Amino acid sequence: MKGIPTVLITVSPEVSAQMRPPRALYPKGFKIGNSLGKPNHRELQRKVLRDALELLTKNTRPGEIVTREYPEYGEYHEPPHVKKMV
Amino acid sequence: MTISRKCVPFTPFDGELSRVTVAIVTAGGVHLEDQEAFNIADELGDLGYRVIPENVDSSQLIVTHHRYDHSDADKDINVVFPIDVLRDLQDEGFIRSTARKHIGYMGYTMQLKAMYEGTAREIANEIDKGSRADVVVLTGG
Repeated sequence: MKGIPTVLITVSPEVSAQMRPPRALYPKGFKIGNSLGKPNHRELQRKVLRDALELLTKNTRPGEIVTREYPEYGEYHEPPHVKKMV
Repeated sequence: MTISRKCVPFTPFDGELSRVTVAIVTAGGVHLEDQEAFNIADELGDLGYRVIPENVDSSQLIVTHHRYDHSDADKDINVVFPIDVLRDLQDEGFIRSTARKHIGYMGYTMQLKAMYEGTAREIANEIDKGSRADVVVLTGG
């Protein structure tokens, strides 16, 4: 079986990191349900998708999540945190 | 939960984005309005997936998922399933094309092993057969 390159867009970076995705983008502060941004905010949606696809051409480290900021989103939502195992 | 000890299934990419065909696989519970909805009554989650055709009209896509607020996706499906956005990137030449099919599934399960060893493989095979995708964009809710 041949593999296929993937890139994940995640708004729950700590949760996603546990699965160690090959490539992933976290648009900082986007709320759950807004992976690409806000409804009908097409310019921002295009930017996020271009940035995600561009990770394919960059020397990212497998399992790490790249954070990008998009001030035009205009909000900050704290992502869910993972409880540390003691 | 602890960090996965499995190897990262990293597949290298050595091409140009302007020449790739892209498929979307979303865990956001997206499907066509005339497809069977995901079973949100089952506390264990629904292990199924739906094939979304290339030429889909995005207004025919809906979300069945009870583990996140999808009210924004109800207004514009592109916030979790960026099919029109991908078409824009095709029009501007950023990518070559959109794939022949895309996948929606419900990314919530208490049956992790069945999801990982069953559903995930079925989805990978679905993409492998006939989607013509070179790369896959994954989204959650």
